[in-house]
Amino acid sequence: MWMSKKRRIGLKYCGGCSPRYDRVQAVASIKRRLEDRVEFVSYEDRDVEGILVVTGCSTACVDLTPFEGRLVWVVTSEQDVEGFLKNICKIS
Amino acid sequence: MSLMNAKQYEESLRKLNFKIYMFGKLVENPVDDPIIRPSMNAVAATYELAHSPEHEDLVTATSHITGKKINRFTHIHHSTEDLVKKSKMGRLLGSLTGCCFQRCVGMDAMNALSMTTYDIDQKYGTQYNKHFLKFLEYVQENDLVCDGAMTDPKGDRGLAPHQQADPDMFMHVVEEREDGIVVRGAKCHQTGAVNSHEIITMPTISMREEDKDYAISFAVPADTEGITYILGRQSCDTRKREEGTMDRGNQIYGGHEALVVFDDVFVPWDRVFMYKEWDFAGQLVEQFASYHRQSYACKAGVGDVLIGATQCIAEYNGAQKASHVKDKIIEMNHLNETLFCGSLACAAEGHKEPSGTYYVNTLLANVCKQNVTRFPYEIARLAQDIAGGLMVTLPSEEDFRSPEVGKWVEKYYKGNADVSTEDRMRILRLIENITLGTAAVGYLTESMHGAGSPQAQRIMISRQVNMNAKKRVAKKLSGIDVDE
Repeated sequence: MWMSKKRRIGLKYCGGCSPRYDRVQAVASIKRRLEDRVEFVSYEDRDVEGILVVTGCSTACVDLTPFEGRLVWVVTSEQDVEGFLKNICKIS
Repeated sequence: MSLMNAKQYEESLRKLNFKIYMFGKLVENPVDDPIIRPSMNAVAATYELAHSPEHEDLVTATSHITGKKINRFTHIHHSTEDLVKKSKMGRLLGSLTGCCFQRCVGMDAMNALSMTTYDIDQKYGTQYNKHFLKFLEYVQENDLVCDGAMTDPKGDRGLAPHQQADPDMFMHVVEEREDGIVVRGAKCHQTGAVNSHEIITMPTISMREEDKDYAISFAVPADTEGITYILGRQSCDTRKREEGTMDRGNQIYGGHEALVVFDDVFVPWDRVFMYKEWDFAGQLVEQFASYHRQSYACKAGVGDVLIGATQCIAEYNGAQKASHVKDKIIEMNHLNETLFCGSLACAAEGHKEPSGTYYVNTLLANVCKQNVTRFPYEIARLAQDIAGGLMVTLPSEEDFRSPEVGKWVEKYYKGNADVSTEDRMRILRLIENITLGTAAVGYLTESMHGAGSPQAQRIMISRQVNMNAKKRVAKKLSGIDVDE
């Protein structure tokens, strides 16, 4: 049986001290909408095309230095989700 | 094992041989005791979140000793970013548990000791920092909970330790041996004591040379022979022994405090971090207190839960559209976010000490804690205002379930038609729990007295503000001659 290979993207959350929207629900929505095309894996996995960083507010306090030199998408709000989806579809 | 999970933490507690008394009886199985267990659940959340992708960015850190990933509660802050993440972690855990999760006090004790032991060694050529770092590595590698034990009974507050009629009112050395020391005394109000693997003691006040036998700091396993725990009572605590669970308010989490008695406890030398260096007692107290005053970001987290519960009850009562209700909830949020601001500010304005540890801005840490002595009371008052008197006149769960009178409770305590009476009762019990039940110990009175009573912060604020600079500018702008 032939199967197209899914793209692999690492997922990293901020700690979620006081998020302005439901980060986990936002990621669930992203995963649902990309389920045929993208597999989301741990940010520690090196075999990925880039890292999706999901933060609860625009402070985006996640330390990005471990991801230097790699493709990083940062989602800080529900509005950013649509931007990320457009972006990722464009790349494909 | 540098990161335990919640189950492993629970199992690790079962292996300890605690001597705990509650209601005059020895507690045979503290982990499963219905009064103690919710507090264990709250500490377990600090382990669970370290493994959660949605929260590990705050709850884990990288050890400066081993380079390994560790729980942030065992971490020594090495940047202002670390300090800020500590504040955020406190809010996060408070907002998920609705209570005190007990693990910050040990983190604050270790960070303070990382600085004070270093400074003592610099002055006296001692080896305390080396001993401390060995202990710290053991704590990090095994992901342990430490109780930071500072508050002595203090006896007559007008007398110094050496002047007390009973010398045991302050922890002191009763015997010096080749292999260590024997200590006697007690520590009061110890948050999370029986959920801890280790107890770290510190002096409770600044001392003079005459008090040098009381200037001691050390760490021992929490089940060391000679240590007895006597659990503190909490308002409504025995509801946790009842068959139903609704009347507890918080179904999962809680906190506890205990009186910890040290009856001639042996401490080996490599676990001693201060021994008669009386001139460093005040520094250790101040450093611990400043970190701990920052830690009260957790109350903003508990405030999140109380505000959420208040919004729910407004909706369940059908009062959510009333302008005064909306305005009161805005006020609750304003006060709550102001609490968080203080904790973040003292962290962001932190600095590096000679030991390499980052230390909070002490003026702002005291301002943060001073707000905490007041705002939760006002937030609680507004919650009770919106909840209504039913919060304290509601019949019990047993009446609600009663075949005889349950139907009347169901009928007459219905509010919004879209919400069940049971849900309305549950949210009222949660508000009761936080504002005058078991969780009020942490949210209100501990906010008042924990990490030092209000006057302690006011003294620190008065010492640290630059009053001369303020006066000088005021004089200049009003045309008064200023002597340069």
